[in-house]
Amino acid sequence: MDVNEAQLISRCQQGDQEALKEIFNQYHQKVFRIAYGVVRQREEALDIAQEVFIKLFRSIHQFQGRSRFYTYLYRMTMNTAIDHTRKMKKAPSLSMDQEEGFQLSDDAERRPDRILDHKELEARVKWAMDQLSPDQKAVLIFREVEGLSYQEIAEATGSSIGTVMSRLHYGRKKVQELLKDYVEGGR
Amino acid sequence: MRRKASFFVILVLLLSPFFGAVAFAQVQVRVRAMEASNVGSGFDSSLRDLHDQLGSLFSFSSYRLLKDETVNLSPNQSVSLSIPPERSLELTLINQHRVTAEVRVKITRGGRELLTTLVRLAPGRSVSIGGPKRGEGTIIIALSRMQ
Amino acid sequence: MKSECSSVSKLLDKYFDQEVTPEERSLVEGHLPDCSACRMALDSMQNLRILIKNPVEEAVGKENFPWVWEKIEKGIQRKERLGLWDFLKSWLDVTPLLKRKILIPAVAAAVILILITAPLLYKKISSYPVQSVVEYVESETYNVMVYELETPQVTVIWLFEGLEEESSTS
Repeated sequence: MDVNEAQLISRCQQGDQEALKEIFNQYHQKVFRIAYGVVRQREEALDIAQEVFIKLFRSIHQFQGRSRFYTYLYRMTMNTAIDHTRKMKKAPSLSMDQEEGFQLSDDAERRPDRILDHKELEARVKWAMDQLSPDQKAVLIFREVEGLSYQEIAEATGSSIGTVMSRLHYGRKKVQELLKDYVEGGR
Repeated sequence: MRRKASFFVILVLLLSPFFGAVAFAQVQVRVRAMEASNVGSGFDSSLRDLHDQLGSLFSFSSYRLLKDETVNLSPNQSVSLSIPPERSLELTLINQHRVTAEVRVKITRGGRELLTTLVRLAPGRSVSIGGPKRGEGTIIIALSRMQ
Repeated sequence: MKSECSSVSKLLDKYFDQEVTPEERSLVEGHLPDCSACRMALDSMQNLRILIKNPVEEAVGKENFPWVWEKIEKGIQRKERLGLWDFLKSWLDVTPLLKRKILIPAVAAAVILILITAPLLYKKISSYPVQSVVEYVESETYNVMVYELETPQVTVIWLFEGLEEESSTS
């Protein structure tokens, strides 16, 4: 962690909201990317990003610098996103989000073909990712969306590199199988 | 300590009608500006309470929240906020009743008045002003009285 | 060839993620020209990465984050206010009163006062006939229509760009 980041974190731990804002400016896109990778929906991803930074401000005093700050933030983001998807599964869906089994809404059927294809594909990707265990999903998103190294993923998930590799391998295999029409032999 | 607490509670109970009167003098209005369009889909979670209302009137496929602010209006004092694109929204509490609050709404741009209206806001009934275009979308401003 | 393929296929994920050692890289790259199955496996991984990543990048590109910061600030202030309320509640512990004789006279006094003062406060506010939600609309710029529905309760003032058109800004 560089000196500037250490100072920012220290100020944040003392309740300095300006410091949180600077952390937000540095990391908001990464947090949003991870959240979006999990929920595949803009409004939910924004809700999650908002929740992450509020949580961060309240719990940053627990960060003791034993891991890198960004892996700590990534772990918080992933946990928040996965908790969010659990809560959303219990609550009735309001929007036009697709449910399992791609039951597209009437609104979707009224759209031009190219938009329908795109939305249907996104729905399938989300559905396929939702078939993974939370651990496999986390590893896949850290790798594919954020491009983290195996070491960084291990730190962010609190597991060993061997476990990361195993989850990545089986996670990829499962999603590839579920999306084989799209991933095999080009699209 | 208990005597102090009980004295304080009695005082609050006795003065409560007057506190109520003071509370009635201010009205809280929530202002949400959104961009509605047929590009993409999605309903911003902050607009959840308006879903039925907007859905019954419009057939847009996407509602994207641009601004969400709650203002406290005192009688005859104006509160202004900026509203995309480059407009200003001024709210003035003209009259207040138990259930409804009469609020004058002015939309201006560069000092020029575009619209003035007087609406009655009540909890559970929002008033929306919409129509101006913004790119591929249409701006809708929803006013809701809180409490 | 077969045994080489089975060893190389175990390295494909690492190779794809550029986490291989130089020796492992040579082994994989030496094998790939002769093995369409391994090449296809790599293509699948690449296609999967595109499927997972591209929509995310698109979404980030469209986003307006300063607005998100405003919501975060408000969220923090809301939680701080709740914290203060908990403090006040703990200071003012009224549960002992429920056991004391003081409650009955206190409630009685409050009820009497409310009965006396309520008519004075509310005398100007009488129930009045149902009035429309929109009292008036004035605009020199727009043609205006007002829509009112009862179920659900909604009123919309719709502005049609007409008299003097405004240029739309994105």
